[in-house]
Amino acid sequence: MIARLPRLHAVTDDRVAAGPGVVERAAAMAAAGGPGLAVHLRTRALGGAAQLALARRLRAALEPHGSWLVVNDRADVARAAGASALALGRTGLAVRDARRVAPDLPVARSVHGAAEARAAEADGADFLVAGSVFATASHPGAAAEGPRVVEEAVSGGLQVVAIGGLTPGNADGALRAGAWGVAAIRALWDAADPAGAVRAFLAVLPAVAPLVVTVNGESRAVPEGTTLRGLLAQLDLDPRAVVVEHNRRIVRRDGLAGAALAAGDVVELVHFVGGG
Amino acid sequence: MATAVTASVVQDTPLVVGGRTFRSRLLVGTGKYKDNATMVRALEASGAEVVTVAVRRISLDRTKEEGILYHLDPAHFFLLANTAGCYTAEDAMRYARLAREAGFNEFIKLEVIGDQKTLLPDVAGLLEAARTLAKEGFKVMAYTNDDLVTALRLEDAGCAAVMPLASPIGSGLGLLNPYNIRTIKSRLGVPVVVDAGVGTASDACATMEQGVDGLLMNTALAEARDPVTMAHAMRLATEAGRAAYLAGRMARREVAVPSSPTAGMLS
Repeated sequence: MIARLPRLHAVTDDRVAAGPGVVERAAAMAAAGGPGLAVHLRTRALGGAAQLALARRLRAALEPHGSWLVVNDRADVARAAGASALALGRTGLAVRDARRVAPDLPVARSVHGAAEARAAEADGADFLVAGSVFATASHPGAAAEGPRVVEEAVSGGLQVVAIGGLTPGNADGALRAGAWGVAAIRALWDAADPAGAVRAFLAVLPAVAPLVVTVNGESRAVPEGTTLRGLLAQLDLDPRAVVVEHNRRIVRRDGLAGAALAAGDVVELVHFVGGG
Repeated sequence: MATAVTASVVQDTPLVVGGRTFRSRLLVGTGKYKDNATMVRALEASGAEVVTVAVRRISLDRTKEEGILYHLDPAHFFLLANTAGCYTAEDAMRYARLAREAGFNEFIKLEVIGDQKTLLPDVAGLLEAARTLAKEGFKVMAYTNDDLVTALRLEDAGCAAVMPLASPIGSGLGLLNPYNIRTIKSRLGVPVVVDAGVGTASDACATMEQGVDGLLMNTALAEARDPVTMAHAMRLATEAGRAAYLAGRMARREVAVPSSPTAGMLS
């Protein structure tokens, strides 16, 4: 169980990933979705270097809002970009092999049907992306399986993100079938107002409560899922110019991204000032 | 100019603390200056390499002063973090560890204050913190009172330097007990750096004449009417006092002895 797994997943396809304005649209969605949103970079149209460069720009846009970056299939890119999770397609690497590259990331597997779901669980996946719930333009010819595909995936106990033709208006069936959250491509990226589309989805999804933590002696509400690195980004602080103490323990710069905040945490951010 | 002359005449070894050699025996603080530009010019005029800094919370609203590293080049100065404002060993150790995490060096100017009015040290807390931090690999420079036994204990605790006061912090009262300072210097193996109390150049000179290894000051510069000129004066006074100590002063006599020949006078 990943307590901070976002509820709404904005998945790119080749057209979106290679198209103009993807980072700007992701930033607008993140501002609306905060820690409730994950953006999945899914493309086969870009080579490794271009994909990593895009992943880094996406992460920089998402992180200040506590939104996740999930990289699909490319475990190396996910790790190098500092993504929050890795999602493997049906023909992607085995989970155990992906973990050799990115040992610290949650790993998702796309599944169709009960047999694939059980195989993914046995392989060690942390959560599942299950579809297609409805017919979708991105997978022409794939059968629309309805909420049943979610039920089959959920029965193994992992968190399931439903995918396939979902909109704020038709997501209730997947959610009643036990989906943790929903994923969409066109309903988000093709929307005239992507931030408005995010808000419309989140309105039908379970709420993500903010955390209250103490930073330098002051109470502060931060989005659930915020890490220390995310907190510094929200405060517009350069990690190189500040020393971070988290619940009385010093956290090194390279540990900031992996340190998630919990309710009631006490954070001290210090630096050098004039003194005798 | 002055340094060039000094260097050519004075046979001295440099100040070495905790295995590191420093280019000046004068160490200066960075607090209480009316503005950062003045501070930077005063630091430069002082010729100091070691400058002290304090560890404090960063201002989250970003409307207040930025950190000191926006004004000081850490490649040009050696940053000596202090634990000023700490009243327990535990607090001082916490600040020391945070300071080390900033990544500049393992030196710490350890202060554990015992009294708010005089800012005199809590000797028990100071020794406890010094012992623990030295074991953790810190190069501890301990601010203490001018007491020989405490100084000896601090050396035993593993301090890299012991820093007795000339007079209380920020008082500008000058060197109150030269005998105590001389005694401490004569009995310690580690460097003795007098910290606090110097008010003007003659205080700095008199302190260095006691044979101590270095001198640390802040308020005497920051609160001078012209901090940059005072920094220059302190640099000369520190060098003068050091040179006079090395030269060895003449004996004191209770009678006058003429400097000019008594022979050859006109009849």
